[in-house]
Amino acid sequence: MGRAYRGLLHACAVIAALLLGVTALLVTGDVVARNVGLGTLPWILEVSEYVLPLATFLVAPWLLARNEHVRLDVLLTALPAPLARALGRTGDLLGLAICAVFVIYGARAIASSAQQGSLVIKSVVFPEWWLYAPVPACFGLLAIEFARRLLGHGGPPVATGPHA
Amino acid sequence: MVWWLAATVLFGLLMALFAIGLPAAFAFFGINAVGAWVWLGGDPGLVQMIRNGVASISSFSLTPIPFFVLMGEVLFHTGVAMKAIDAIDRLIWRVPGRLSVVAVVAGTVFSAISGSTIATTALLGSLMLPEMLRRGYHPSMAMGPIMAIGGVDMLIPPSALTVLLGSLAGISIAELLIAGILPGVLLSAAFVAYIVVRAALDPALAPLFEHERLPAWDRWRPLLVYVMPLVIIFVVVVLAMTAGWATPTESAAVGAVATVAVAWIYGSVSWSNLLKALLGTAGISGVILFIIVGATTFAQILTFSGATNGLVEAIQGADLAPLVVLGIMMLILLVLGCFIDQVSMMLITLPFFMPLVQHYGFDPVWFGVCFLICMQLGLLTPPFGMLLFTMKSVAPKQIAMQQVFAAVTPYVVFGVLMLLVVIAFPPVATWLPRVLFGK
Repeated sequence: MGRAYRGLLHACAVIAALLLGVTALLVTGDVVARNVGLGTLPWILEVSEYVLPLATFLVAPWLLARNEHVRLDVLLTALPAPLARALGRTGDLLGLAICAVFVIYGARAIASSAQQGSLVIKSVVFPEWWLYAPVPACFGLLAIEFARRLLGHGGPPVATGPHA
Repeated sequence: MVWWLAATVLFGLLMALFAIGLPAAFAFFGINAVGAWVWLGGDPGLVQMIRNGVASISSFSLTPIPFFVLMGEVLFHTGVAMKAIDAIDRLIWRVPGRLSVVAVVAGTVFSAISGSTIATTALLGSLMLPEMLRRGYHPSMAMGPIMAIGGVDMLIPPSALTVLLGSLAGISIAELLIAGILPGVLLSAAFVAYIVVRAALDPALAPLFEHERLPAWDRWRPLLVYVMPLVIIFVVVVLAMTAGWATPTESAAVGAVATVAVAWIYGSVSWSNLLKALLGTAGISGVILFIIVGATTFAQILTFSGATNGLVEAIQGADLAPLVVLGIMMLILLVLGCFIDQVSMMLITLPFFMPLVQHYGFDPVWFGVCFLICMQLGLLTPPFGMLLFTMKSVAPKQIAMQQVFAAVTPYVVFGVLMLLVVIAFPPVATWLPRVLFGK
């Protein structure tokens, strides 16, 4: 169970990574084509905009499972262990609650957009709710991760994340 | 609710969530959920929060971030960066504190191709620190320059955080990227001068050792082979942006693909290290962008609660000299930088700062560079300087956190001096973009 779950998170992260790589190639191809007079494909620009949120939501649960989201753990490491543990658990509980809110309202955003039949009309036309579809899925996985931590399955809260 | 109470509640809650160790992104989501319920009209406000979240990162102005990060990650994972460092190492000799100087020069070159401060610090730290300590370098002489130059990476384009600042603050991204070059290079030069003087005054800090004497061609060839192509990529990326051939996003994408191509020509690219570089890119960009998901809603809540207007009007009404206001803003950034990460700093302060920048008629590009220098210092100041932790994580076990703090202190002083120089002489920041963009 644990392995399948890790595998799923890793697969999502790999998809995000490949999406970014392919986007870099597409945008480069577009620049080259335009500058040698082959014209431009307007949908490439648009697609690269949508890839950003998609990749972000795909990679977020993997990052949480690896403890790589930036957090301030200086205070926690300075406190006595039992107090730090209690605060850490409070944080996990709040994280779970926050993710639950995002799952519920993410689903509602999808439902209301689908009900109204809203469309995104640019070079590419598609139902607007597609944009919101990754939100509940991402926060659902994040909620599972916080729940696992509360049940004592999460990794140790040590690392500070990568950063630009 | 009066504005100052709203502001106190919002920021108090945010700080409390930060303090209990909740990741920064989730702290913002939590505040947004509460704020959307209270100030954005309950249920519909929360649905709007989701829409805002997606919209805040579906922006073409943010797409350079992963591409800039990718450039650095490719060099790092394919080993090309190591070859470049080695090439620089061969060129610098008979200088007091030689390895520290090599670290600064290599770091400056690497900054010009990497969009990630952490990649630069981790790379130089893991490669050069063991060698420096083995040669008897004092830990402060070994670690300080590496962390300092990692911070400068933020000023020298390509830089992911500069793109983010431009996008969130509505400052021209291309001009801001160019404006960072001169202050960044000046800081590097100051670091080199400081290292040389200090090592000359106290040779025990950086003992001299016999360096292999190579024929001239053997010294210069690696520079031509491994460093020149990287410099050319940098020039092409910068030129494409300034000449209007391509937008920052397009230049970044071309730069990333060119970096992979160069690494491929060296025969250094494999599927496995390319995937590692892409995963690293997704990770680093994901961390930044996930915090941004809360950006639009957070700014809206600050506005709707009256906090933005209240504070901005209070400052405008206080009849302070523009320079004093600027000083207060910088001080706030420096203090925040000690505790929170750079992306959160931008989200918290920009809704207040940009109206003030407009009101007092500050040049936005100049202000942006001052902002960047403060953020760069935030990477280096304890207790939460990100590069301090990066250094600690790649340093040998016997190095204590206190030693890391001590090592970086002189370079923080240089950073503060550079901030003062830019404030006193704005052309240091604005001259280059003005010349290149013809404004």
